[in-house]
Amino acid sequence: MRWARIGMQAPSLVILMLVLAFPLVYSLLLSFQSYSPVDPAADGRWIGLDNYARMFTDTQFGQAILVTLGYVVLAVALETLLGLVLGIWLSRLVRTRRLMTSLLLLPMIATPLVVGLMFSFGLNPQFGYMTSALQSLGLIGEAGVLDSPVGAFAALVVMDVWEWTPFIALMVLAGLSAAPEAQIQAAQLDGCSTFQIYWHVMLPMIRPVIGVAILFRATEAIRMFDQVYILTGGGPGSATTVNDIFQYRVSFTAFDMSYGATLGIATFAVVMTLTWVLFRYLNRRGAA
Amino acid sequence: MSRRVVLAGSLTGALLLTACGGSSDDLDPSAAGGWSQEYAGTELNVLAEATLNSDILAQMAPEFTSMTGIEVTIETAPFAQLVQRATLDFSTSQGDFDVVSIPYDYLGAYAGSGYLEDFAPLMEANADKVSDDFRQENVIPGLWDTAAQWDGAYYGMPSNSAVTMMMYRQDLFEDESEQAAFMDAYGYELAPATTWEQYADIAKFFTRDAGEQLAGETLSEPVYGVTLAGKRHEAAVFEWLNYANSFGGGVLSPEGELILDTDESVDSLDYMSSLGEFAPPGYTSATWDEVTAQLQQGIAVQAISWGDTAGAMENPDQSAVVGKMAYGDIPVLDEGDEHHALHGAWTYGISTEASDADAAYLFVAWALSEPVQKQIGEMGGVPATFSAFEDPELLETLPSWPQQLRSLENAVARPRNAEWPQMLDQLMLQVSNGLVGEATPQEALTDAQDEITGILGDKLPLTEF
Repeated sequence: MRWARIGMQAPSLVILMLVLAFPLVYSLLLSFQSYSPVDPAADGRWIGLDNYARMFTDTQFGQAILVTLGYVVLAVALETLLGLVLGIWLSRLVRTRRLMTSLLLLPMIATPLVVGLMFSFGLNPQFGYMTSALQSLGLIGEAGVLDSPVGAFAALVVMDVWEWTPFIALMVLAGLSAAPEAQIQAAQLDGCSTFQIYWHVMLPMIRPVIGVAILFRATEAIRMFDQVYILTGGGPGSATTVNDIFQYRVSFTAFDMSYGATLGIATFAVVMTLTWVLFRYLNRRGAA
Repeated sequence: MSRRVVLAGSLTGALLLTACGGSSDDLDPSAAGGWSQEYAGTELNVLAEATLNSDILAQMAPEFTSMTGIEVTIETAPFAQLVQRATLDFSTSQGDFDVVSIPYDYLGAYAGSGYLEDFAPLMEANADKVSDDFRQENVIPGLWDTAAQWDGAYYGMPSNSAVTMMMYRQDLFEDESEQAAFMDAYGYELAPATTWEQYADIAKFFTRDAGEQLAGETLSEPVYGVTLAGKRHEAAVFEWLNYANSFGGGVLSPEGELILDTDESVDSLDYMSSLGEFAPPGYTSATWDEVTAQLQQGIAVQAISWGDTAGAMENPDQSAVVGKMAYGDIPVLDEGDEHHALHGAWTYGISTEASDADAAYLFVAWALSEPVQKQIGEMGGVPATFSAFEDPELLETLPSWPQQLRSLENAVARPRNAEWPQMLDQLMLQVSNGLVGEATPQEALTDAQDEITGILGDKLPLTEF
């Protein structure tokens, strides 16, 4: 019986091994080597922990980490704030809730490439409609948004907020819909205002849901690549070089494969830790 | 015999006939045009840059097949994706591509890693199998050396002859009111720039706001005296190299030492940055695509750009400046200095994993044969042979042709060593830093010097680049 069970699971386990374990183990091995497919001198020889030592002293990598952290913190914080407001607003709608919820899904179902291209055209300094709108409001000069490091970074954050705020809003809406009516009614009977009910009763009830949503968004935002690649390519300078763009450049522009693998392993470790925190949190809540 | 057996037999026969469709038995020897039909039936896969040259070759490939019996499939990809696909194919020995058109600055990386066939034995072995339409001496020598010579051997032939030149609005330069105004403002005659000082003066002079006059007409939109590529991208580095070469700076000295932090290199980046004042807004997020579009739209008066975009200027479907553009040498620092353009050539290399290197060589020779090269010129591409650039019919219709040939003859190459991809990545970052003001040109190029010194390590000074 035991063998039959293993046999039934075998095909999926083999596929999982091939698509997950092999690249991971290969990257791990590569991170201890010096290998570039375009440099005969970097022939795959074993160099121990040199790549990891390099990673900790690489100021450009440090800059990419700072940009990534700044981006994740800003984008996710804004999404949480706006998502919360939007979710509460949705929960108060009666007739148009379904329609508004469907409309809110639109940014999320667009592929990252399309979102990047949309903002790229919109923010074109000569003919972009977003540029024209921002210029007519007097918010930017004639050089447009992407010309300056601050502007380009802000554009990335806004793009992410536009795409993913609905996700937080929907999570909030789901949490509010599932909130127990009895406590809300009790608060109403006690004479609480609408604001007090949301602030003191409903928000504490949906805090776990918001926590999960933030963790999901954070793990996603850390891996941001497509939109940045299309919109800014990591520039100007290193203003929008997030971790994944930096790794892409190391591995597939400079072809420094082993150092790229080292950075990939480090990112994997960070994302795994975040995921572990997420699951631990979920399990605790489940147990409670 | 049952009906099923007859049907199976017929199908098998049909399949066999189909399979032998490309064999020499089906070929008409009189249609060979001097090309050998010995490799008939071979199937070649070609990976080429996404340019007009490649599109034209793809259109013409059936002609090659009808003469030689060699089937050709041409796939195209843009710069970055092509390099990635080629590297993946080479490094994993997959042999998906028999012929790969590569940017020449990857020659050291690919030839040095043993991924490309040495052409000399192929040329010798197939000397009597190519048509008289292909003549080695017809290929522009400086271009061929840059595109394919590495460590004393040739690893390919030029697949196109992209080269930089100065493009400017001749109609505005010939306008009498503009000439008089320029003379008043600068004290010398308005003419195509030969020095960088003149280039900057002209850029400043022609930068006008909407509502101002230009050549007797009131502008509805602003016009800019220059356009340039300043994005964190190869385009910005290649543009900067044009300034750097003539300022006496650049990446490597002739002795193979890094010269990025020299005064000449720093001054050239400073100069490039100063032109931004007269360029369309947002030039720091522009590549060669935006430069071409801005010239075509007539919103910029001059630029340092690639010869293979000249055809787009003269295309009435895309351009508002047809017949208004003229082309000149890359300016110099001081009058009397030698003009130097920058090579942007691509190279047909044959993979060492090619299914049939001889058949692949025949394809490359055909692509560089006189009629094909002329056709490439006629259809708006950039050929690599003297016969095409000196063809009287082409000269009549292509105003950029004489300048392209002059630029090809005075062009210099960017480094081609195996570490160039890593060096280029650093240069993209630091040139961008210098242009957007994240660092001064001195700081940016000093950082580039330090980073690249770390990359090259004890290989400095480079002996082959």
